[in-house]
Amino acid sequence: MDTIVAVATSPGRSAIGIIRLSGPQSLEILRGLIRDQLFTPEPKRLSLKQIVRETGEPLDSALVCYFEVPHSFTGEEMVELSCHGSPVILRRVLDLAQRLGARLAEPGEFTLRACKNGKVNLSQAEAIRDLINARTDAAAVQAARQLKGELSVALQPAKEKLIQIIVRLESALEFVEDDLPRIQAEQIEKEIAEVAVIVEGLAVTFTTGRALREGLKVTIVGRPNVGKSCLFNRLVGLNRAIVTEIAGTTRDSISESISLRGIPIVLTDTAGIRVAKDKIEGIGVERTYQAMADSDVLVVVVDGSTRLASEDLAIVTQAMGGRHVVAINKCDLVNEPGLEDQLDQSLKVVHLSALTGEGLEPLTAAILEPFAAADSETVGLLITDSRHYDLLRRTLASLENSVELFSQSASEEIVLVGLHSALQFLGEITGETTTDEILAEIFSTFCIGK
Amino acid sequence: MVFDEAFDVIVIGGGHAGCEAASAAGRLGAETALVTLNLDLIGQMSCNPAIGGIAKGHLVREIDALGGIMGRVADRTGIQFRLLNRSRGPAVQSPRAQTDRALYRTEMRKMLEHTGNLNLRQGMVVDLLVERGKILGVEMQDGRRIAARAVIIAAGTFLNGLVHTGQRTYTAGRAGEPASIELAESLKRLGLPVGRLKTGTPPRLDGRTIDWSAFQPQEADERPIPFSFSTDKIEQPQIKCYVGYTTPDLHDTIRENLNQSPLYSGQIKGIGPRYCPSIEDKVVKFAEKERHQLFLEPEGHDTNEVYLNGFSTSLPAGLQQDLVRMIPGLEDARIIRPGYAIEYDFVDPRELGPDLQCQRIAGLFHAGQVNGTTGYEEAACQGLLAGINAAALVKGRPPLRLRREESYIGVLVDDLIKQGVDEPYRIFTSRAECRLALRHDNADQRLRRYGRELGLVGDSDWERFNKRQDCIATAKAWLRQARLRKADAGYLAAVDVVGSPLGDSINLEDLAKRPRVTIDTIQRLLPLGIREHITTGELEAALADNLYAGYIRAQDAVIRRLKHHDSTPIPAGLDFRTLNGLSHEMVERLERTRPQTFGEARAIPGLTAAALSTLYVAANLQM
Repeated sequence: MDTIVAVATSPGRSAIGIIRLSGPQSLEILRGLIRDQLFTPEPKRLSLKQIVRETGEPLDSALVCYFEVPHSFTGEEMVELSCHGSPVILRRVLDLAQRLGARLAEPGEFTLRACKNGKVNLSQAEAIRDLINARTDAAAVQAARQLKGELSVALQPAKEKLIQIIVRLESALEFVEDDLPRIQAEQIEKEIAEVAVIVEGLAVTFTTGRALREGLKVTIVGRPNVGKSCLFNRLVGLNRAIVTEIAGTTRDSISESISLRGIPIVLTDTAGIRVAKDKIEGIGVERTYQAMADSDVLVVVVDGSTRLASEDLAIVTQAMGGRHVVAINKCDLVNEPGLEDQLDQSLKVVHLSALTGEGLEPLTAAILEPFAAADSETVGLLITDSRHYDLLRRTLASLENSVELFSQSASEEIVLVGLHSALQFLGEITGETTTDEILAEIFSTFCIGK
Repeated sequence: MVFDEAFDVIVIGGGHAGCEAASAAGRLGAETALVTLNLDLIGQMSCNPAIGGIAKGHLVREIDALGGIMGRVADRTGIQFRLLNRSRGPAVQSPRAQTDRALYRTEMRKMLEHTGNLNLRQGMVVDLLVERGKILGVEMQDGRRIAARAVIIAAGTFLNGLVHTGQRTYTAGRAGEPASIELAESLKRLGLPVGRLKTGTPPRLDGRTIDWSAFQPQEADERPIPFSFSTDKIEQPQIKCYVGYTTPDLHDTIRENLNQSPLYSGQIKGIGPRYCPSIEDKVVKFAEKERHQLFLEPEGHDTNEVYLNGFSTSLPAGLQQDLVRMIPGLEDARIIRPGYAIEYDFVDPRELGPDLQCQRIAGLFHAGQVNGTTGYEEAACQGLLAGINAAALVKGRPPLRLRREESYIGVLVDDLIKQGVDEPYRIFTSRAECRLALRHDNADQRLRRYGRELGLVGDSDWERFNKRQDCIATAKAWLRQARLRKADAGYLAAVDVVGSPLGDSINLEDLAKRPRVTIDTIQRLLPLGIREHITTGELEAALADNLYAGYIRAQDAVIRRLKHHDSTPIPAGLDFRTLNGLSHEMVERLERTRPQTFGEARAIPGLTAAALSTLYVAANLQM
């Protein structure tokens, strides 16, 4: 096994830049870097050392830390050097380390080594990736929870229940001559349903979980000149979009990434929807429709100072199908009486003024409703990974299939096809269950042996 | 080296593995010697006098399809045939038969004596002659040396056998027969990893001392289904077995006397099978159970001996007599032979390749209990495979390897050589991923061709096979096109069976899949011209294919999902030794082949799914 080296902090200038070494030569290379062959550091203690150029001149003074096998992130011998964060210095240290026998690490290679040495499992490695990429607090909290193995823990009851069901059905098939308790059909159906409830409960969190990881796509739509861009600027906190009193100022959709109470949001301002006056505006309106189809939440802006036009109502009707908020703008002006009666009772409505900022709080709350408590640690475990979501959906489909066959009194070996698939899908998240483990469970549950 | 005799193949042991091995090797044209301690005990059933059972019956049918002999002998000597799991789907139905123990031996011996190129030799092998990693022959206790190009060890529980009854122990291969101590030592000298297992057997009773009226009779099937595809009819008169139960008092007495049990005193070191526990184990591990089921199984037509199935024990012989008499109906029963436990050596089967040949000693094959398995059927199928492959080695032909997807034999061998064993290995249907496709009714369809190509399936059997396949195909074609219409004669009867409306007409393929629709329902709907030509067995096979077609496709899809990484490359230079979670053997197997993709890795014999997923994780993170 060779020794790898890489800069652990992000590229660019900073106060401190960290370089990591992992592999059996790490300490030896450190001794080379500081030109002190007798240096014998105490593990996990910082020491201030001079890194010396090949010419003998000092390169940088750095805080160095040594980790023993297996008490390091990768499980190998490791060294971390906290240098001054100049890209030039870091580059020179890397060069020196390579000359002393290290090899530049491939992307993800430190985590790979941790995985190989049993320091983390696949799902935890995925969590590390998410933790590094987390763009907001809430996303980081979720990744950290997965790193602790919470998803596996949350699925454990489902898996155990499923194994118990499989054990009973398999025993009935395999040990027909043994004196086993009869299969209680209703009991089995009930238990499969209980497994499905646990799995479903996790699967449904994916919409929220994905938004947390990838950002919630919020799109502002409406008729021209109702104050969309003004609201956009207000939420972004910059004069990002051009605002004029001329209807149709916004020609193209523009997007900004923002964070609302810790939740990543991709906010899109769109061209107002009307019959286009020219080709450019036509394309802009087309893009608006695309953005609408692609978004998680639609904010429909209407002008609260006049009666709603048929275009307003058409847009509102379109938005009703998905998650939406109707923002009745210009509450700083005189409000049109009876305007709300024009809107369907089931619509979610807020009053605000994009100009003064009044009413932005209720709007934010409405957008973030699914994350009601997401900015704190009290939120439940969320499925953030589409691989996990896909596996949970497959598990559910298999379970449903089995229940249906069971209710049609299909023979056990047929019902078991779906149950075994379900267990396999769960196993791809929580770890494989082998036939031997199922047999072991059978022999400890029932007295087998004609 | 000077030899007294020379053969192509030597088979050590005349049990169920040895008989199949010797028969196959001889018939494949290899000059073969079957060396056994006692020629009169060839084909002896050391434990219960029965062949088949769930999954085991599948094995017997597969043996028969390949051209083995166990099914034929069982058909000639079976005295109570039953198809198990009759109320369930065809994939988990399995034939089982009580056999006449003495008759089975006689028939097996007769069969072997009529086999060309096969020579029976009585004697004890004490050493394996090996030079430069290659087998040369064996040395006998009397000093004779016999040369052979291949040697098959099928020595059962005889390898270093140690019998326990109570605190008494004595070396033996079976009660009353000597153990093979030196042969076991020679395996260790060759450096093979040897472990210790344990099995047990119940007492046999004098049938004249049993109050049969206290037990519930269990009848044979009215229409016995033979094991062999070549058997037309079961000729043996069929007998009854009887079911009874133990009592709480009996359990208490056993628990009070556990100090006399070699199992609980620590005297027995070997690991026994969990699915075949002794009565001591049953009352200790399942203390809450008020009764345990027992079967009284007559050992044959011409004997009073009765096998007390479910009462395996190694308690002292005197105590066994007292315990048996506590069973309702056995108050006056007398034990003819006491039960006992036996410990024996086995060799880690991970030493073997998929042809059952030892990887470090060319020409040495292992079959049966030496590989850590238990059961006559498990032994026989390994014997057959070892016999076929020993002959292939001698004749310079490619070995026969059976895949998991095509046979239970493939599942068993693959499990053994990949996972090894930590208790006596028994086959179960749940061990087969493709359970719905591996049925007893289609064993011929899956394996007959191999038997024919090898030369183990004769012309008349081959003709029979082809005719059967044609009839199954006809039946399937008819099921596919025929519709049952409202106006048809059988329509109302069919609605009655299904219990719900069937519409104006229904396709027979669909009707046959409905719950409660049986083969009788369909058979009655067959037009006379077809009904005359198709046997019940052939229709059953056609219906089973039809019933499972959709699920087999779904199962295939799941397996394909596992295969969809096949083209993913494995990073060049990945050091397998550094992958945590890979066992030493897995690393060795990987380093030998150096696979470049996951498809190649999957094809490596002996590589487990767990090893593949470890590899996958490693490769994935690196990319």
